[in-house]
Amino acid sequence: MRLALVAALSTLGIAAGIYSLAVARDDPAFWFAGASARGAVALLGAGWLLIGCGLAFWARRRAGGFGPLLAAAGFAWLLLEWNNPGIGSPLAFTAGLCLYASCPPLVAHAVFAHRARAAIVVGYVANVLLLGVLPALFFDGPSQGCAQCPANLVLVADRGDVVNRLYRIGVDLGFLWSATLAVLAFVTLVRGTGAARRAAWPLLVPGGVYLALVAAWLADSRARGFLGHDTLDRRLWLAQAVALAGVALGAGWGALRAHRARTAVARLVVELAHSPPPGGLRTVLAQIVGDPDLVLAYPLEGAGRLVDAQGRPVELSAGTTQTVLVRDGSPVAVLAHARGLLDDEQLVDDVTTASRLALENERLQAEVRARLEQLRSSRARIVAAGDAERRRLERDLHDGAQQRLVALSLSLRLLRSRLATDADGVRRLDAAAAELDRATAELRELAHGIFPAVLADGGLAVAVRALAEDGPVPIRIGRLPDARFPSAVETAAYTVIAEAATTATSSVGVDAECRGTVLHVEVETDDTSLDLGALQDRLGALEGRLGVERGAGGRVTIRAEVPCGS
Amino acid sequence: VRVVVADDETLLREGLARLLADAGIDVVGKAGDADELLRRVELTRPDVAIVDIRMPPTQTDEGLVAAHEIRRSHPAVGVLVLSHYLESHYAMRLLEEHPERSGYLLKDRVKDVAVLVDALNRIAEGECVLDPTIVSRLVGRPREPSALDELTERELEVLALMAEGHSNEGICKKLFLSPKTVETHVRHILLKLGIGAAADYHRRVLAVLAYLRA
Repeated sequence: MRLALVAALSTLGIAAGIYSLAVARDDPAFWFAGASARGAVALLGAGWLLIGCGLAFWARRRAGGFGPLLAAAGFAWLLLEWNNPGIGSPLAFTAGLCLYASCPPLVAHAVFAHRARAAIVVGYVANVLLLGVLPALFFDGPSQGCAQCPANLVLVADRGDVVNRLYRIGVDLGFLWSATLAVLAFVTLVRGTGAARRAAWPLLVPGGVYLALVAAWLADSRARGFLGHDTLDRRLWLAQAVALAGVALGAGWGALRAHRARTAVARLVVELAHSPPPGGLRTVLAQIVGDPDLVLAYPLEGAGRLVDAQGRPVELSAGTTQTVLVRDGSPVAVLAHARGLLDDEQLVDDVTTASRLALENERLQAEVRARLEQLRSSRARIVAAGDAERRRLERDLHDGAQQRLVALSLSLRLLRSRLATDADGVRRLDAAAAELDRATAELRELAHGIFPAVLADGGLAVAVRALAEDGPVPIRIGRLPDARFPSAVETAAYTVIAEAATTATSSVGVDAECRGTVLHVEVETDDTSLDLGALQDRLGALEGRLGVERGAGGRVTIRAEVPCGS
Repeated sequence: VRVVVADDETLLREGLARLLADAGIDVVGKAGDADELLRRVELTRPDVAIVDIRMPPTQTDEGLVAAHEIRRSHPAVGVLVLSHYLESHYAMRLLEEHPERSGYLLKDRVKDVAVLVDALNRIAEGECVLDPTIVSRLVGRPREPSALDELTERELEVLALMAEGHSNEGICKKLFLSPKTVETHVRHILLKLGIGAAADYHRRVLAVLAYLRA
């Protein structure tokens, strides 16, 4: 149905063009195009380009009202030539009389789409009503100095004064809105940023130029009170034709780019069918949309926050446009990109459809990662809380109980010197003091076992050397990093070594090195009864890994890797 | 010997001061934290400052830091750090930088007034003192076969006393040996362990400790 209409309109457009050209050549003096080849090219070039381009857009159901508006502008461009006494046909003359000035608001409407609505409404009022339809109702050619004019089919009353007044207002208002929009077009271009400007210029530049030329034409007509075609007007008309051709070509260029994007989408479908893209969907979408800084975020179900593909929280910056990709009524992903890049709803649909599976896949992965991260950090917090508690206990024992015991044994000592004469009392006191000594020593060992203070004070290397001083078996120490790491990292590495040293029966070899951002700890031991589960928990909480390798002669090598963030 | 006693635990500080006074030591000042200790030292210029390793505000190693400060700004004032820590790391932090007139004893020693007085006297005379328990841990620690295995029982005894900071005369008195015998033992030990004959007493202590800690 629509295609039939488009076909009919195309034929009509070709016919209207040829007809316009034919009448213009018939009596060159009165027309813009005249008899020159240049005029013919300008008339048909601009008109047909606009009609063709507009109908093509319409036929492909692209970008809302843009296609019909562009096609209408093309017809209106041709109609300008019909407002002419020499045209002969009353029907064509009346159409020209009513609509000869309606091309500029149609073009402005197409170029600015949903923006600057007020100015466009004023444009329609000025150019269609005040300069066209309304004065036409009161224009009677023969009685108003145009003996040659064909009959006006919409004539209501012969009122030359009303016609002149309407024309004057129309010209003034027409100048105002067209000049305003021309300025707005250039301001938009100058202010726009990178990607937004790249998306907008093909239409805004020729559109702005065209409206500026229209404003100039209207300004030139103000003294006269109506739109005419003197030499300057004809030159402006030629320039307008060029600008309008630019508008049509700009629209075509935009369509070509959209087509390229769709081709990229098609390629995306093929690629995604094989394997997930390296660098994730974001890279692919950034390429398609044409914004290298594009952010792809997934809404986390039930959490009300956005995460990236790695499950990390994402904050969308305020300066970007956010396009929500929706599937089955619920948002699947959010794209944050430069303004004006994803106005093509068809493209958004295409992208959503093409990347549906991959999007869903990546979103689920992101969600799993986010949950895992939550779990990991909660585990890390539990381990850290445990360590802090042990450290506190160790301090309490040292600073509290042990300190008291030492003070007590000191008091006993003082008491003993006062009891020099009581042999039995001295003996008992010595026995008590000896008991106290044992208690103090035991307490010291206990506190030491709870948490090695030397680890917090001196770091991993110092703590391991201290461990070698009192471990049950010899510890061969290879490399040890002198650098300090976050206490959770040091504690994890130390625990692996201390655990191996505690359970070993002959000897233990220790080698630790920080390579890049990972602390590698290698412990060679002879025992397999190690509680690897507890160690794995501790390392897992820090996103570390534990590997066990059984070698010849019953030797076991434990390899721990802990990200150390430096 | 004139001493200043610094410990944030009142009971311990007072008790220790009393015990030392009873043993004929001249306690010229008492302090509850590091700042007060430094002021007391500045005012009274004692022979030795007795410092608890853990003191306010963080209760970690303020005493050690204060000891360094005293040794740096008052070279004539010795320091004796009392500590709960068995690890040689803390002792070495003190002795490696200021081997002369420095001592490190475990806190339990406070009731053993004879050991305390002996340590104070040695420090006042310029020696360095390391707690016997820490040294015996170092000597007796599990280790792979080494040159230490070739030392005789007697030589091990002498080695431990060297590590505790005793001079040759001190070792003579402790083991009831003649100076000549002790010198022979010391020479043998240094030879067997491959430690160059360090003429300097303090350097010898540090070299022995470094060997034991390695």
